[in-house]
Amino acid sequence: MKRYMFPLLAVVTVLTMVVACQPQTVTVPVEKRVEVPVQQTVEVERIVAKRVVIYNSYMSDPAPREADAALVRMFEEEHPDIDVIHSTIAHEDFKQAIRAYLTASTPPDVMTWFAGNRARFFIDKGLIMDISDVWEKEGWNESYPKGFRALSTVNDKQYFLPASWYWWAVYYRKDIFDQYGLKPPQTWDEFLQVCETLKKNGITPITIGTKYPWTAAGWFDYLNMRVNGPEFHINLMLGKERYDDPRVKRVFTDYWAPLIQKGYFLEDAAAYTWSEALQFMIEGKAAMYLMGDFLRDSYPDELEGNLDFFRFPIIDPKMPIGEEAPTDGFFIAANSQHPEEAKLFLAFLGSVKAQQYFADTLGRLPTNMGVDTSKFTPMQKKGLELIQGADYVSQFYDRDTTPEMAEKGMAGFMEFWDNPDKIDDILARLEAARQEIFAGQ
Amino acid sequence: MAQRNIFPRLVPYFFLIGPLILYLIWVIGPMFYTIYLSFTNWDGVSSPALIGWRNYQKLFRDPVFYISLGNNLRWMVCFITIPVVGGLALALTLNRNIPGAKFFKTSFYAPMVLSLVVCGLIWSWMYHPAKGLINETFRAVGLDSLAQGWLSDRRLVMWAIIAVGIWRQVGYVMVLYLAGLQGIDPTYVDASRVDGCNSWQTIWHVILPLLSPVTVVVVVISIIDSLRAFDLVSVMTRGGPYYSSSVLANFMYIEAFNNYKMGYGASISVILFLLSAVFIFIYLWRVLKTELEY
Repeated sequence: MKRYMFPLLAVVTVLTMVVACQPQTVTVPVEKRVEVPVQQTVEVERIVAKRVVIYNSYMSDPAPREADAALVRMFEEEHPDIDVIHSTIAHEDFKQAIRAYLTASTPPDVMTWFAGNRARFFIDKGLIMDISDVWEKEGWNESYPKGFRALSTVNDKQYFLPASWYWWAVYYRKDIFDQYGLKPPQTWDEFLQVCETLKKNGITPITIGTKYPWTAAGWFDYLNMRVNGPEFHINLMLGKERYDDPRVKRVFTDYWAPLIQKGYFLEDAAAYTWSEALQFMIEGKAAMYLMGDFLRDSYPDELEGNLDFFRFPIIDPKMPIGEEAPTDGFFIAANSQHPEEAKLFLAFLGSVKAQQYFADTLGRLPTNMGVDTSKFTPMQKKGLELIQGADYVSQFYDRDTTPEMAEKGMAGFMEFWDNPDKIDDILARLEAARQEIFAGQ
Repeated sequence: MAQRNIFPRLVPYFFLIGPLILYLIWVIGPMFYTIYLSFTNWDGVSSPALIGWRNYQKLFRDPVFYISLGNNLRWMVCFITIPVVGGLALALTLNRNIPGAKFFKTSFYAPMVLSLVVCGLIWSWMYHPAKGLINETFRAVGLDSLAQGWLSDRRLVMWAIIAVGIWRQVGYVMVLYLAGLQGIDPTYVDASRVDGCNSWQTIWHVILPLLSPVTVVVVVISIIDSLRAFDLVSVMTRGGPYYSSSVLANFMYIEAFNNYKMGYGASISVILFLLSAVFIFIYLWRVLKTELEY
């Protein structure tokens, strides 16, 4: 008997496994089939009482997440018959998952996303719903600034709701500037003068952390817009201008290279993330930082009194002024299963009430001009003026151009940073990349 | 009679059915799907269209591919020399009953317990140009010129990362050799002593040849580890500055998940797979062969 025990045991084990597996694999669809009607009957009951809209959001940081949830609650109070199924996905994961969401047969109805080229990519592929009727009905064509309307429009139709934005500027330490009798520079010459004075006194004029090189892309965006104008810049972003154009080269050789060669930037910048580089400014070892307004979130509150910002200095006064103001917002998936509810929810998100709440709790800037700005902090007001004084608003290098071009471009900026002499080589390679990347579009 | 003989032989396969099915679904299937994807232009949104060998043609013209491959090779050369020699030396030293041997064994093995991501973060702080332990130490003893931007200088960055990998690998190799040393019959060592060998001759002519199966395993594991290097690079530099510390796995990750070139990323991983496969087969062949010997 013993001889048979082991094989017998084996057979029994395998059989139990098979038996255990089989009902599962077989009944999974059956179970689902049972489940679906159950859900549907619930939904059928709800249709009378309760409708549904699925909302996926990337606002995963604590403060925005709370405000986001509060907005959903406000909407549900206004529309007791609609249930918002709200999921929050970590920001970086969301960027990868959105492609799966959009191509699913039952996508989330409303999603958060970046305005500009990143949205345009999906609009061109027919994955984002035309919401011109919402724009029309809610009067957004009048209550939203033209720039934001243009940002949401493709072929005269609106696809996107820009909801909040922040500005970029050169942040600086007021106390350090005062100590050396410096004033916020307005022109390029004044800016170089400020850098020189700081450098002579042993202060790093400009801090920057290029471990993740988007920070350097900010410098490229601004220098290119100031030297060649925002129109040329955006055409370059769209792949319509050449990277080996002499105008592009001038940005590097005449303006960027001197800053690097004179040692105005933080040493070993490539070793730091943007927030690690901010430490040098907090400690008073560096004086200026070209950054988005989220810099203030990472700046110690007790030191914020010393912090201020100025517009990136003007280089060519004949050029229109372009500013970076990355804008986040919402859209509806093209094959949304609940388009009516989704449009109602979107209309709420773009309303003065929702935007006012978002601006007041998070300090972000609203897009709807109906929002009461009287209670804004001085910083907010100054930022608002900065952007309102701009002729053109860009999103940012990695949002305005394709992800692949941005990756290659930023690597090129880093190589230039190390070897300013190799700029011809670098631009030739970027031009080759541009031709390949935009060939298929 | 015949049935009774076959049946027990089939038993292991019954047990294998479950894992094999899972393995097919989660490993073999995706592998073939990746090979298929490498011949498409899939971007994660549109449906994939076959484009023949275009991804591979682009890959073999891409300078970043050669930088990454070169870095993988450097990594490999470092990994099959320094940790192997270092690990062997440590094992030979600590295998004797010297005081504190247990403490040293534990200390050298400890980094292996940490995940690579943690190692990468810790070393990023140690390499911090302004406040890192390494540069601060150099400055404290007056060797300011040796203080470097370890992770920002394109000539140093790859070596700085490989050094972290070696730091972690040495303890691992040491443990493998210690296990090998335990398996050596002490009578051989005694016999060599009786025949008048000094310590060095014993190591060179008796112990090392007996350790050669372990050495093969160690070398192959080191090669495979160096080919799949990803975590340290991804955490410490993400391949920067400008690709100078890029390795194939990291290059693939950026192309696929940052640039959304899934097809292109797949072609990189196919190349990486082919490279690894050679060494994995050597390893398996060796392992199976030594198993048969027992």
